[in-house]
Amino acid sequence: MSKARKKPASASASPRHRRGPSARVWHVYRQEILFLGIFLLILGGGFTLLSVNAVNDQVVEPFTAAVAKVSGTVLDLIGQDVSMQGTLIRNTHFAVNIRNGCNGVETMIIFLAAVLAFPAPWRARLAGIAIGMVAIQLVNLVRVVALFLTGVYFPAFFDSSHTVVWQTLVILFGVVLWIFWANRFAAPRTAPAATPR
Amino acid sequence: MKRARERAARQPRFEAGRFLRRALLWLLPVAGVWLLVTPFYNRFLIAGVENLLRMSERPSVSRLSVEGTHHTIATRTDLDRPAGKVRVSDIHFPLLMLAAFFLAVPGVALQERFAKLGWALLASVFFHLLSLFFWVKFLYATQQGAWSAANFSPLAQNFWGLGKHLLDLPFKFAWPLVLWVAFFPHLLLPQGNPED
Repeated sequence: MSKARKKPASASASPRHRRGPSARVWHVYRQEILFLGIFLLILGGGFTLLSVNAVNDQVVEPFTAAVAKVSGTVLDLIGQDVSMQGTLIRNTHFAVNIRNGCNGVETMIIFLAAVLAFPAPWRARLAGIAIGMVAIQLVNLVRVVALFLTGVYFPAFFDSSHTVVWQTLVILFGVVLWIFWANRFAAPRTAPAATPR
Repeated sequence: MKRARERAARQPRFEAGRFLRRALLWLLPVAGVWLLVTPFYNRFLIAGVENLLRMSERPSVSRLSVEGTHHTIATRTDLDRPAGKVRVSDIHFPLLMLAAFFLAVPGVALQERFAKLGWALLASVFFHLLSLFFWVKFLYATQQGAWSAANFSPLAQNFWGLGKHLLDLPFKFAWPLVLWVAFFPHLLLPQGNPED
């Protein structure tokens, strides 16, 4: 798939490369196939779990209400004078209802799945998950506050800002966070031949 | 010797900071292209899914009409009201992230990045067709009250509902990452095989 993984032509003579095509693909891309398989499995499993009514009512809704409460508190601090009712935040100019998709849970699950699927020590995984979840929620808080302010001051931009702009930014943040984690803290690297620098 | 190896091992394989800067810069031209192409791409998706729906029906009763730039309205000749409205642009806006990610990879020739992006976009078209198909089936199976209950079994309602839920949230958002890892596997995952 990438130039870096191509084997030299002479390697085809070795016993390993006399395997069938699927065995060869598995041998060369095992890490990638395992990563993507585990990632999609955790992702699908996580979101299937979230779609169960009991999980939604007992876990997701209270969590979303907490996200709304914190967002409302921040909006109050910046002078928006909001009132909160469950997942609803409103003032005299505008109201938003924080629902699934707005609570950062999707990004958290994508991040969690990517961290768990990546070949890394458990300590690095747990640290990544702990820091990542907090960071994603902080960015989501900024998103909810910014969207509320957009609704108050630039209502014409609310729809596109809500779906396209902020969803892209929050997911982008989650993915970039994972890339930083995977790149810097996670997997032991295959060190090049020890040439002192 | 050991210290040098450890130091080499601590060095990031991939210039993540440079990648992020480039991704943010690429987002602007990519967003411009996406905005220009969206009206045409939406029409293509709507026409494609209408054909898929009609192929899967006996008799063919579905009709997807374009509304404005971003929406489609699903109607059936055996229903006296529209089945619902879908914002088609919401299905494919993660293309912004996909294109920015593919074009921002440092250390890979621009031609190779564009070639891989082309294949990724082609794969994405099928994903978007499938997503919109599930969206409309979800409207039929779960959003028409008594009509849905009469025409779809509980199993079918759950199948279309869960399928739409999975395609619309996790897989839609994870799609750019999945393709990025699949097309640039050497960037982050440890190279080589433990058996090597």
